[in-house]
Amino acid sequence: MSAVSDARTVKAAEVQLGDRIRARGLELTVTRIDQAFLGRDNMLAFVEDSEVQWLKVPALLDLDVEVVSGDSAGPAVA
Amino acid sequence: MSPFPTDLPALTGGTLDSSQFKGRAVLVVNVASRCGLTPQYEGLELLQRRFADRGFTVLGVPCNQFADQESGSADEIAEFCSATYGTSFPMTDKLEVNGQRQHPLYQSLTATPDAAGAAGEVQWNFEKFLVTPTGEVAGRFRSTVTPESDELVSAIEAVLP
Repeated sequence: MSAVSDARTVKAAEVQLGDRIRARGLELTVTRIDQAFLGRDNMLAFVEDSEVQWLKVPALLDLDVEVVSGDSAGPAVA
Repeated sequence: MSPFPTDLPALTGGTLDSSQFKGRAVLVVNVASRCGLTPQYEGLELLQRRFADRGFTVLGVPCNQFADQESGSADEIAEFCSATYGTSFPMTDKLEVNGQRQHPLYQSLTATPDAAGAAGEVQWNFEKFLVTPTGEVAGRFRSTVTPESDELVSAIEAVLP
């Protein structure tokens, strides 16, 4: 039996507020997106500011980011 | 009023003696061991050695809220700083500088605007707050302002006791 995730991969620039993502080995729910991270127009930063955690993860605009849809890892199927 | 609580946790355990900040200029810096800016430790230590005898100290604040770049244990952080950069300035235990569990030290510091007039959240590792000997926050310097920059060195010299 294996778990199948319905996660999809998008570019960092395509991530939307509320998305649960995995980027650079970290998982967070995006509550804010800061543009031009540290003044760099080719970078942004994802922020989760929640009761669970405050975490900031910068990314190049064209970085591949995994968006976890549904209940995080998606349904497990036989 | 001093922004330094009396129960500031030390990296090596216990609490930091807050009297070591009394009457001194203090540069508070949130640090991380695995950041592209980590080599700023070298400049911070140079500031410490240059100005310590004139009533100044750096205070390092490890924080893991920026891309998990300070994920090690207290012992690992202390060993890294000592072995790699020979740091001699005091360090707190790992603190949260932003968010709902923001440490009281940073509740006070982050009310201070930077040179562009922006206050609020710490933006990244190695952001610097300069506290005067009387406990006022005299300046806020974003991560890309290096420890050896004229901007920062001049600000420190201006507030030395």
